Amino acid sequence: MTTTYITASGAPTAEIADVDWGEKRYLIVDDFVGIRQLLRESLRNIGARHIDQASSGGEAMTLLLRTHYDVVLCDFNLGEGKNGQQVLEEARVRNLMIPSSVWLMVSAEKSVESVMGAAEHQPDAYIIKPITEGVLLTRLNRVWHKKQVFREIDAAYIEKDYLRAAKLCDAQVARHKVHEIDLMRMKATLLLKAGEPDKARTVYERLLEEREYNWARTGLGKIRLANGDHEAARQMFQGVIGENRYYIDAYDQLASALGLLGRHEDACEVLAKAAKLSPNSVQRQRSLGNTALRIGNIPQAEHAFRKCIAIGEYSINRSVDAYLGMARVCGQKGDIKEALRLLATAQRDFPGELVALRSKITEGLVYHESGDFRRARKSGDELEAMLEKERKRPQTATCIEMAILLFAVGVKDAPVELLCHVIRNNHDNPVLLDEVQKIFDKARMGEEGIALIAEARREAAEMMNKGVLLWKTGKLVEAVEWMREARERLPDNMRILFNSAQMLINHMQLHGYDEALMIEANGVLMHVDELAAGQQRFAQLVEQLQMLIPGRIQSDEEGEGAGATAAPAEEAGEPAA
Amino acid sequence: MDDHTGSPELFMFLASTVHDMKNSISVLGGTLENLLDQARPEQQADPAYPQMAHMLYQTRRLSDNLMQLLALYKEVGKPTYPFEPNTVPVRDLVQQVVSQVRILLESKQITLEVEAPPELLWTFDEDLVIGVLAHAVNNAVRYTRDRIRLDIAERDGMLELSVADNGMGFPPSMLEAGTLVGQGVNFLTNSSGLGLFFASEVARMHKRRQVGGTIRLENGGPLGGGRFVLTLP
Repeated sequence: MTTTYITASGAPTAEIADVDWGEKRYLIVDDFVGIRQLLRESLRNIGARHIDQASSGGEAMTLLLRTHYDVVLCDFNLGEGKNGQQVLEEARVRNLMIPSSVWLMVSAEKSVESVMGAAEHQPDAYIIKPITEGVLLTRLNRVWHKKQVFREIDAAYIEKDYLRAAKLCDAQVARHKVHEIDLMRMKATLLLKAGEPDKARTVYERLLEEREYNWARTGLGKIRLANGDHEAARQMFQGVIGENRYYIDAYDQLASALGLLGRHEDACEVLAKAAKLSPNSVQRQRSLGNTALRIGNIPQAEHAFRKCIAIGEYSINRSVDAYLGMARVCGQKGDIKEALRLLATAQRDFPGELVALRSKITEGLVYHESGDFRRARKSGDELEAMLEKERKRPQTATCIEMAILLFAVGVKDAPVELLCHVIRNNHDNPVLLDEVQKIFDKARMGEEGIALIAEARREAAEMMNKGVLLWKTGKLVEAVEWMREARERLPDNMRILFNSAQMLINHMQLHGYDEALMIEANGVLMHVDELAAGQQRFAQLVEQLQMLIPGRIQSDEEGEGAGATAAPAEEAGEPAA
Repeated sequence: MDDHTGSPELFMFLASTVHDMKNSISVLGGTLENLLDQARPEQQADPAYPQMAHMLYQTRRLSDNLMQLLALYKEVGKPTYPFEPNTVPVRDLVQQVVSQVRILLESKQITLEVEAPPELLWTFDEDLVIGVLAHAVNNAVRYTRDRIRLDIAERDGMLELSVADNGMGFPPSMLEAGTLVGQGVNFLTNSSGLGLFFASEVARMHKRRQVGGTIRLENGGPLGGGRFVLTLP
């Protein structure tokens, strides 16, 4: 059907439609007074009455803290201080925006940030100047409608019930053709998070049959990368960049592929290029700094860490890594005093046991790399004392880093304890077992290492098998209790955690909903997700858990895996020595 | 990968200058629009009124040229532009194009006719296509007598978007430029060439199952004058 409009003004105007934009609260953020006045004029023309203005990111934050705005129109480029993206990130992280509120990012030209697809916090839409009322109203209406369509999906996403969220995407596509691509993009992301890369791949491939979408091609590359096909992934990311050199996400992915291929020099070069195109990402500058440090490119590392610290000043994503990295750079340049000053700053600005521990590791490294072995040993001893005081151990990567340093400075017992801890918590990860064995070899403890690793693996396997045996023989209560103890002893062992959650869920499936068990199971699963996101079993267990909540409306189609009671995985036979 | 982005400092300086210029032109255009829009009938009889309308037209040209220049030549000689296709109802596209040109056309007493299937959905980069169409309308303001027509229709699986006027038609030099640019020749001898080149780049970026978009210029369109046609796969 075709509609003809013939008027003097030639005007089909956007319907103010189902939304009352006049009643909403608006915030305009722009450093240019003329633009603020124009935007205010436009907003008044669409009926707005409550309009606040800010001329800087700082001022915007003050207003955002005071009022919940329904619509924020924020320029990306705000001169000195925070930029628009940083204001958005802080507002979202500090929960200053209600879920229904709309964030429109305004920019003078289509910016790299608007298509980079890498930033975790995306605005609801980008608008390019000059802004007219028609464009504003059309985009507001569309974003509002899209938020309705995604409301339930987002809620399931926040609960990490990725499988249910993916099913909701399918249901919405049938009703809202206009959002089909966004819904399919979301569905693929959800499937990846749910550890279903094959299903995600099908979604991407179907989209790519029609048109070339950078994010879909990059998504395929990510799946290849996760499958260990690093070279194929590298070629895909390279291809995306060849097509559109502004798609920053592909650079970050390309750098990881190159890193996994052992091509650290090339990875560093790619990150440097990405950082040039889009310099205001704390995470990217941090990766660049770490990669440069790894290949010994000290000037590049210094530049990246300095930039990282500078952006961090205005960003909620401020990271302690930049200070620790910068301290290493200073150490390598022989400026021990500056390195120590940075470590002091890190501990002052980022309080917490973990930072104290990591600062001490870095201090040891700085001394060791500058050839001051006496002081390095002293740092090692202090680290050992800290470890004795605190029973909780940091994540695997930090434990390994610590063990390497401790061996290097001549400490023996503490690193052995750390490595055994790592093995117990990752007893079925062959890559990691290999890495740990190599560390033992390097410390001239090869023989002992073999025995220690075998013992740690045996201990973990026994703990798990006993739990599974109890469960299999119908002693569910005892099994649940046993797994609690196992979690105490092996807090980061993925299989123990999964089995524990499975048994808790199973308990509720048989004996009814129990809020305490629900909270416990949820806690275990969220801890798993923190350790390693994107696992299939995680998504399945979350879905099962969510379905136990009383009053939850069950989806019509019965999902595979959902509702079915999967048995806790048993250790296959005796672990190899 | 090759890289010719030049020094980051120069790039940052240029980016912030551009940001400033864009702001100034936006304010200039916006203020003129507000003044023209709020003018009462007796004020419209004032000789200053058409002069102000002409100022708006020139501001728009300046703004378009600056934007196209930037989009195309962030790197000398290398057309690059972030591209992000999305599904858009034709109604939304029409609303936004019309809102960009409404006041200019009213103040110049030019009638805009629109014929489009409002419910049709198509996938394209909305900002780029709005930019191309609004520029085509601005261009038509120069050639038209008093009518401009925007036609959007699906034809043979492609989306055809055209802007036609009832003027004398394009001069031969423009038609020739249109043909050359349409064939992929980099035709940039005058400022009209820039707009055409930008439009052809936008068309080329849109691809569906290996088929790309095209542009063409012709005379004797539906209103008897010139006609600019953008075809998207």
